[in-house]
Amino acid sequence: MPRHVACVMDGNGRWAQIRSLPRTAGHRAAEATVIDVIEAARASGVEWLSLYAFSTENWNRPGSEVAYLMRLVRRVVRKHAPLLLARGIRCRFLGVADPRIPRELAQDFDDLATLTADNRGMTLTLAFDHGGRRDIVEAARSLIRSKTPADEVTERLFADHLPFPDTPDVDLVIRTSGEQRISNFMLWQVAYAEWVFPEALWPDFRAPDFLACLHTYRRRDRRFGGVPPQTNGALS
Amino acid sequence: MTTGTTGTADATPLFGPESQFRAFFDDPRWALAMIRATVLEAAHPQIGAALADNSTFVTHPWRRLRNTFLSMRRMFDADPAVREREAGRLNRLHARMSGSDTRGRAYDAMDRAARAWVVATLFESAVTMCRLSGQPLGQDTMERMYAEYRAFLAALEGDAGALPEDINDFWRYFDRVVGDELENTEAARVILYRLFDHLPAPALLDGMPTLWAAGRALIGPLLGAITVASLPEPYRRKAGLPEMPGAATLMQGAYLTAGFTRFLPEGWINAETIIETLSLSPDSDDPRARTMTALRARMKRGAALIRLLTPLSGDSDPDSVPATPPSTGEGRRSAEEFFRQVLDQTGDGHLDWPDLAAMARELATRLDLDEPEETRLYDAFAAWWRELQAALDTDGDGRVSADEYATAVPSLAGPALIRVAEVLFDATDKDGSGTIDADEYRTLFRTAFHRDLATTNDTFGRSAFVGDFLSFMSGRRTNTPYDPLLADA
Repeated sequence: MPRHVACVMDGNGRWAQIRSLPRTAGHRAAEATVIDVIEAARASGVEWLSLYAFSTENWNRPGSEVAYLMRLVRRVVRKHAPLLLARGIRCRFLGVADPRIPRELAQDFDDLATLTADNRGMTLTLAFDHGGRRDIVEAARSLIRSKTPADEVTERLFADHLPFPDTPDVDLVIRTSGEQRISNFMLWQVAYAEWVFPEALWPDFRAPDFLACLHTYRRRDRRFGGVPPQTNGALS
Repeated sequence: MTTGTTGTADATPLFGPESQFRAFFDDPRWALAMIRATVLEAAHPQIGAALADNSTFVTHPWRRLRNTFLSMRRMFDADPAVREREAGRLNRLHARMSGSDTRGRAYDAMDRAARAWVVATLFESAVTMCRLSGQPLGQDTMERMYAEYRAFLAALEGDAGALPEDINDFWRYFDRVVGDELENTEAARVILYRLFDHLPAPALLDGMPTLWAAGRALIGPLLGAITVASLPEPYRRKAGLPEMPGAATLMQGAYLTAGFTRFLPEGWINAETIIETLSLSPDSDDPRARTMTALRARMKRGAALIRLLTPLSGDSDPDSVPATPPSTGEGRRSAEEFFRQVLDQTGDGHLDWPDLAAMARELATRLDLDEPEETRLYDAFAAWWRELQAALDTDGDGRVSADEYATAVPSLAGPALIRVAEVLFDATDKDGSGTIDADEYRTLFRTAFHRDLATTNDTFGRSAFVGDFLSFMSGRRTNTPYDPLLADA
């Protein structure tokens, strides 16, 4: 069972386009999948779930869509706060640094994180206004500020300066809608992750699809860069 | 001062746990009496001017309350060495306060008559508090208590000559000062009208501004009315204080109710615990802090849940985009915020020498400094003040306004500020080891090291300390250990 599963929620816009709906309708439909996946992950014993909700590059989308997303996320967060609390899910928000994020939304993020900080069930990390490279740059800055000598910097020490250093490496990344890109998502943590690319668009993605992905993961042979013992041919 | 004048040689010691003074410490009525005494003090033109110029009680009332409480407790300590040391500290502190009021009259915190008046108001308020709560003191107790307060003054001044020897003469003295000398000073008005309306939340309730503001809106005017009604009639007339119907009854009721707590089991109300609890900063590692932190965390979560459950006003409409004010990045504060919370200690909207003196005073109190370290710290702050004045006071009025500060923030970290950090380091490093160990660190910040401090082997080197101090003072970084030290109310 993967300990840390991450989802790149892709395909909302296409889902709406197929139905001749505005793109915003796709985002609205994504809410149901998010709740479904959280439930499925919790029920199947995943300890860490990360969702890529908004990237630093998403600010380039049309202003009205961004504004809509901000309001939608705010509504979703407030609507499901009691449920998340009751289910023992600890919520945190990765990123959330841009001044363009409405103050009320940032406050809601803070409140939800405070509210669920003591929960010991699953940890749900919502990457909002997140960029993997930015996190790495921030960690480097933090290292320099702490005046760590260059020779002492190890991978482990470096990871300690990333946001939420207690987050374990990602074991499985699910990217819906068949797109096969990393898109600057938790770059440090996905170093050894297995990737699956289901064809379903995110609003169509449901708990059974999620379980299927977990199943795929279990059949994978994770090598972490090593050589599988049964092969004797040349591996590059 | 000799032990003879302080009365320890007498059969019944005037100081120590048996004194009348100590008996009031845990009495809730004492809180009301202290407010009343402070108003009477502030109404004295000399003291009022000194308070208006130097005191931090409007911006940092809780810190000031804690310091005053601890100081008084030391002044009535059973050990003469503790008393002597505290008297010396207070004298040095007062010796640094002098100037002139708005009408150009000179004031001096070392003035004998003024200091006698402070002691007189404390004594008179204690007597009045008992009278108002229907439990008047007997003649013997009153005389004994008077002797204690005179000994208090003697410990400060060397002798108690400024207060009449006999208690009967005292009442004549008191009425004369109220009638002839007290004025409607600005400081008294500030305490009566401004302090309670703007009282900042103590550290404990810092996370709940709404709750605090609601409670304050209710309690503030009430406390003001109670205090006004308890003041001597001649003063109320002179200062033009309102006679509100029912205020006298309210005041007597408040004193009476507070007086009932004397029937509670002993130890239920402990002023020290209450004051310490209120001013305990959340990340202090005091053993009680853990309980308080847990309580705070629960209150914070409760507040978060309420905020999240509050329905949003109006549904989201994709087309109407409200203007979004940029949120301030975490860990940094705006120049104005820093000016208000840290630099402007006296809360008058300007940065002036008394503001920096208040910082030096707070640091010296924390570290329990003696001479010559205390003077060295003050001198470093004075040099910093000259540097600030030269760099920031563009309109030449001798003080620095918030605007002047905001336009010239980068020049704040000059050599004089670095010197302040170095002197502070030396003062904190009591054993002169060149590093600050865990105990020394704790004395200054009342908290232990944190992981994010650049520490090696649980000590704090000079350069790291100076760097940290500078980044707080000029980089305006929040969440440093300096915050509870200088920014907390």
